[in-house]
Amino acid sequence: MSAVTLLTGRWLLALRRRTHVGAVSAISLVAMALGAMALVVTLALLEGFQHTIRTQLERGGVHARLVPARGSELPGGDWLDELRRRHPDLEVEEVRSTAVWCMAGGLAVPAELEMVSGLPRVEVNRVLAARLGVVPGSELVVATPQLVLTPLGPMPLRRRLEVAVVREGRPGEERGVVRVGEELARVFQEAGRRPQAVTLQAKHGRDAWRVASIVQKDVPEGVEVLSFRELNRPLLAALELERVMIAFAVALVMVVAALNLLCNLALVAAEKRADVALLAAMGLPPRAIHRLFLGLGAGVGVLGGVLGTAAGAVLAGVLDRTRALPLPRGVFVVSHVPFRVEPEAVMLVLAVSFAAALLASLAPARAAAQRDVLQGLRYE
Amino acid sequence: MSEPAVRARGLAKGYGEGATRVEVLHGFDLQVECGEMLAVVGPSGVGKSTLLHLLGLLDRPDEGSLELFGTDTGGLAVQERARWRNRYIGFVFQFHALLPEFTLAENAAMPLLIAGVRRREALDRAADLLEQVGLASRAKHFPDQLSGGEQQRGALARALVAGPRLLLADEPTGNLDAANAQTVFALLRQLHLSRRLTSVIVTHNEALAGQCDRILSMTRADVGGRGAGS
Repeated sequence: MSAVTLLTGRWLLALRRRTHVGAVSAISLVAMALGAMALVVTLALLEGFQHTIRTQLERGGVHARLVPARGSELPGGDWLDELRRRHPDLEVEEVRSTAVWCMAGGLAVPAELEMVSGLPRVEVNRVLAARLGVVPGSELVVATPQLVLTPLGPMPLRRRLEVAVVREGRPGEERGVVRVGEELARVFQEAGRRPQAVTLQAKHGRDAWRVASIVQKDVPEGVEVLSFRELNRPLLAALELERVMIAFAVALVMVVAALNLLCNLALVAAEKRADVALLAAMGLPPRAIHRLFLGLGAGVGVLGGVLGTAAGAVLAGVLDRTRALPLPRGVFVVSHVPFRVEPEAVMLVLAVSFAAALLASLAPARAAAQRDVLQGLRYE
Repeated sequence: MSEPAVRARGLAKGYGEGATRVEVLHGFDLQVECGEMLAVVGPSGVGKSTLLHLLGLLDRPDEGSLELFGTDTGGLAVQERARWRNRYIGFVFQFHALLPEFTLAENAAMPLLIAGVRRREALDRAADLLEQVGLASRAKHFPDQLSGGEQQRGALARALVAGPRLLLADEPTGNLDAANAQTVFALLRQLHLSRRLTSVIVTHNEALAGQCDRILSMTRADVGGRGAGS
């Protein structure tokens, strides 16, 4: 063990001698640990909520969408049957939509009527349900802009439907949507129309991210594949931005802890100037004194970072497992505040705490190494 | 005839700038032979400690040359001067005798640890020295558990653990009562002889100075002259 390592360790853990340097080291250590802990818990909280949102998206949303590269309808041919045959694990839905008006309770709002093959009931999304105030069991009147001749003259085509389900809808969806089966859709749409889009959904939500790449080679020319990421780009970008900004904001805690460390190391350097001078008289070169103070800072950074990160990870894990922070039902999709500790976040916090501590040590280390030995020896 | 341990020629050292500048040493010559024990006495402020710092390579003279054991120290770089202090020079100071966070054994072993000697070997060698200064039973004690005399004997052990050729002591008994001062000085004298050291000891205690081989008495009038012994 070198003298520098021994000195660093002893000055860092000198609490049992109740020396000033020990108290100062302990304060810096606690500050750094609290900073790391705050950062880990915040990132775990953020990741908990974001993971919930992503999981909801993966489970309930469309994983890929096939749209015409040109025009409003997908090309004809049997490629869609072939796609179904090659990928039996994918749920393939043809989308045929028409602009309609929906009316209920004296209100009329524009909406999109989507034909979904094999759908046995009428579904509306939350947007439409909220705008019209309908719930499962409510009646809804759907009218097309096309006119049909009646004994009373040209009138919009109207149908009275009973809402069976209010769907969550796609994230970020702002339009009202009514989904009906093929039979009912034929009433509103021209016969023989090709689908305007095809939606694809994997059985497992975790496969959402690779559905587009899996089917890419199986679609003909003129069909564009929109991946899960592209379909949810605004939301995913917002989540990423939120993660970066909050991590940055909370990382300022580490900057405060690092500044505290800088002040404390400067104090230690001043407090220990006589001891440092004595060591210099014994032959400890300035480079080693520089290393000694860098080691002190790095030691506080590593020790504080590891302790704080571990404490933060344990706290986040306990809060998540025990569901200690409940959320009101019906307002959030989860029943409790979720925490999720990611290894990347842990590594990030450790790296930030170490780097911050090392940067904070540079100035005190340089000052201590350059300090006049004789002044230190006269200092009493 | 062998090289002198210390040969200083025309040493000059001052502090401050312009009107506030104080010339502490000017044109100072000194020669100390190998194995000699030199006491430096004189009033406060005359430059005794400055001389010791120059001899210990803790400071550089403004002018003049200093040879230690035949080597001109003027050209030594910072790292080389540190290595010289570690390998060839032992210091005993009036204050800051020991580092408070370390045991007496660790304090005594510190110069060896700085030199890169393994911890176990360094502690063994420190234990030998502590036995020679009568502190073997106190090796695991911390400085605040030792008396002033014990601390200074520990500092003496530390100064000698790396086997230096030159021992520089600045008021080594200044903080001790008469009995302890005599004990420490006797020990210093004994180790000087047994280890064939060259020693330069700054002291205000003329009785102790009288036990040295030679006394260099510095006055304000003669810091500019030859450092003659009496």
